[in-house]
Amino acid sequence: MVKHITQEKINLYAEASGDFNPIHLDESFAATTPLGGTIAHGMLNLAYVSEMMTSAFGRSWLSEGKLRAKFKEPARPGDTLTINGKINCVEQKDDVSYANCSFECLNQKGEMIVTGETIIKLSSDKE
Amino acid sequence: MPVKTISYEELIPGYEFPPATYELSASLVSKYLRAVDSAGDGFVPPLAITACAIAAMTGSFSLPSGTIVIHASQELEFFKLLPIGTTIECHIGVAQKITRGKMSMLILEFEVLDKGKEKVQSGRATIALPT
Repeated sequence: MVKHITQEKINLYAEASGDFNPIHLDESFAATTPLGGTIAHGMLNLAYVSEMMTSAFGRSWLSEGKLRAKFKEPARPGDTLTINGKINCVEQKDDVSYANCSFECLNQKGEMIVTGETIIKLSSDKE
Repeated sequence: MPVKTISYEELIPGYEFPPATYELSASLVSKYLRAVDSAGDGFVPPLAITACAIAAMTGSFSLPSGTIVIHASQELEFFKLLPIGTTIECHIGVAQKITRGKMSMLILEFEVLDKGKEKVQSGRATIALPT
């Protein structure tokens, strides 16, 4: 999955989430910080991961998914993010199958923006 | 948005914020979907719910002007899908507060309930505050 980060999307995300921290919105303030400019909300980047998981697993992900993510580098306006995921293994616990997956979100320079793991319930033999 | 009643210095592990309530209205979900560039499927995206919880967390305490808040890591568990229009309640507590050199780290735990007090999602967020 490929997504483009724009300041407009960041501004919209701030309105939808209620997170108006100036590091996301105020270019003149952000330029004076060590980050050097505005950055996307970490949860905006993670929303793309969730969308990828929804495409792959549908409602199993939405209603019973588990996620652990680390935000490694900020995504900035103008960045193009590529989100990849893979199933590492499928485990059985009490007649239920769980997929253990890993994911990564990289920018156009190949820098890691977000990385992490997810667990999704696949099926129950009793169902 | 919750009212900022406590300063960062006053936060201690075990502190619980007053619950924050959000209505996941059609307009809020629509705005969220446009921001994340997604079509949606008639339900509230779980990360839109998380976004409310995160905003409730970071909006619940006051920081010195100009402080940068960096989201360092996130754990999440989803328990149920919610239809658009649902009202949720976010319960947030301080799990840990760590200072390492010029970096302060705050680990917050949250639980989101629906109107029937059923658990919708839970999570743990680590936020870093460079000083």
